[in-house]
Amino acid sequence: MNNLLNRSLKRFLLYSGLILIAGIPIYYLALSRLWQYELDEHQIILTPEARREDSLLIIGAVTILTVIFFALLLGGFILINRRISRQLWQPFYNTLERIRQFDLNRQQPVEFTPTDIAEFSRLNEALDKLLSANMATYHRQKEFADNASHELQTPIAIAQSKLEVLLQSQPLNDDQFEQIEEALNALSRVSRINKNLLLLTKIENNQYADLETIKLSALVTDILQMLENFLEEKNLRLTTSVQENIEVQGNRILVEILVQNLINNIIRHSPEGSSISISLNKHLLQLTNAGTSPLDAGRLFMRFATTGSHAPGTGLGLAIVKQIADRYRWKIDYQFQNNNHIFSIQF
Amino acid sequence: MKILIVEDEPELAKSIKQYLTTEQYLCEVAYNYAEALEKTDLYSYDCILLDLMLPGGDGMKILRHLKEENKQDGVIIISAKDSLDDKITGLQIGADDYLAKPFHLPELAARIHSVIRRKNFGHSNIIEQNEISVDLLARKVMVNNKEVPLTKKEFDLLLYFISNKNRVISRNALAEHLTGDMADLFDNHHVIYVHIRNLKKKLSDAGSANYLKTLYGTGYKWDI
Repeated sequence: MNNLLNRSLKRFLLYSGLILIAGIPIYYLALSRLWQYELDEHQIILTPEARREDSLLIIGAVTILTVIFFALLLGGFILINRRISRQLWQPFYNTLERIRQFDLNRQQPVEFTPTDIAEFSRLNEALDKLLSANMATYHRQKEFADNASHELQTPIAIAQSKLEVLLQSQPLNDDQFEQIEEALNALSRVSRINKNLLLLTKIENNQYADLETIKLSALVTDILQMLENFLEEKNLRLTTSVQENIEVQGNRILVEILVQNLINNIIRHSPEGSSISISLNKHLLQLTNAGTSPLDAGRLFMRFATTGSHAPGTGLGLAIVKQIADRYRWKIDYQFQNNNHIFSIQF
Repeated sequence: MKILIVEDEPELAKSIKQYLTTEQYLCEVAYNYAEALEKTDLYSYDCILLDLMLPGGDGMKILRHLKEENKQDGVIIISAKDSLDDKITGLQIGADDYLAKPFHLPELAARIHSVIRRKNFGHSNIIEQNEISVDLLARKVMVNNKEVPLTKKEFDLLLYFISNKNRVISRNALAEHLTGDMADLFDNHHVIYVHIRNLKKKLSDAGSANYLKTLYGTGYKWDI
């Protein structure tokens, strides 16, 4: 990558070099013509050796002069260039630095240094407008996510509580109980879907922007430990090869959600008594579980793509994984080999 | 035991009140900020259920006010906001617990139970129920003065039942109590069944009467 000014400097130097080099034959011609004219005027006749010696002298002098001038030009250009870049472009670099430090999440307006150069002043104005609009949109969306959560969770809470109160009424027969229980199950699912959709909105809205170093090895081990009961209850055999001290950069909450969703996913979709394996090294997190037929890799990571009447999940787990992976430019991949589903994340 | 329900949604407040109104809980309801402030100033409660977004003001302000006045009421925030920030802020100001909407009423009852127990720590951290006694601090269960070794899940289940005694509990509520957000990890509630069976067996082997009744095929009730 070239700096703006270095790029123009190169062109200038190339051009002046060319002019100077092209100047050598012209100087030579002009000087030898003048020399010839003087010789003729004073009727001096030179021997061929002396004539050759003179032209060599002329060429030598012209070349030396050219080189001196070129060096002067070069030095001058570099000096002037430095000065220009320091003074003229300073407002531009100021603006650049301000924008680089801008963080939508912090909701701090950017204050540009005032400049008397019309173009930069216009640039700052335009950027200021753009950023303010962005911040307003961000704010509105964040507010919407919060409100949506409130507006939806409350009616779900009411319906759920009514059913639970109904459950206490006596007498209730088996059939009625079952109907209420099924309605409660459906409501729980709605509420989980709602929570996950809100999470997706929040990720999209950049509400988890802060970065930190996360010890991925420890995180994977912790989550596996937390899920130990589920493994036991489904009688799953777990093999792990987790390298120690693997670290990634990311938001703690998001990375946790990513790992947890992936592990939940393979636990949920593994047949009872089968084996699962998880491996982690510097560049790759890979999860393998048994399966009977390949999944539709093209749709797997889309929202609600895997939802079916048989699946207890919300259909958003993998969409959330993808969203988080995309955010950190991690490559997510699915393969089906030897009756195994293999999910991998490349860091 | 007096409980104040601060909740602007009358239907929800009504259900909570209906569920909690038993011989041991007396419930009052405040529907807005001013009402809540008035009631908390005038009376004291064993537990206050506090919604955050209220007509007339933010529930968080009520919480701050309570803490400034050095009131000893237990507070459980019940809010539709479930972002980490809100939880942390609420707990830092001094709420005893935070429950995001929607919640199961048995879950709420269990949390209230535990907040009140903790507040009245000095004289009773042991719950007695006929031949069963539960030591909340040591997390130990005794039947006829003999310890019954329970796993963490079985202990949690027992507490959940005791906090909701004489009420019908659905398997769905039990599953969510035990696994939280991971309740959707299993398509059936087989796991709950296994834990309940083990708990029942351990208690009856130790000589306890059978209080844990199975109802309608999938529901449960701690009958006492």
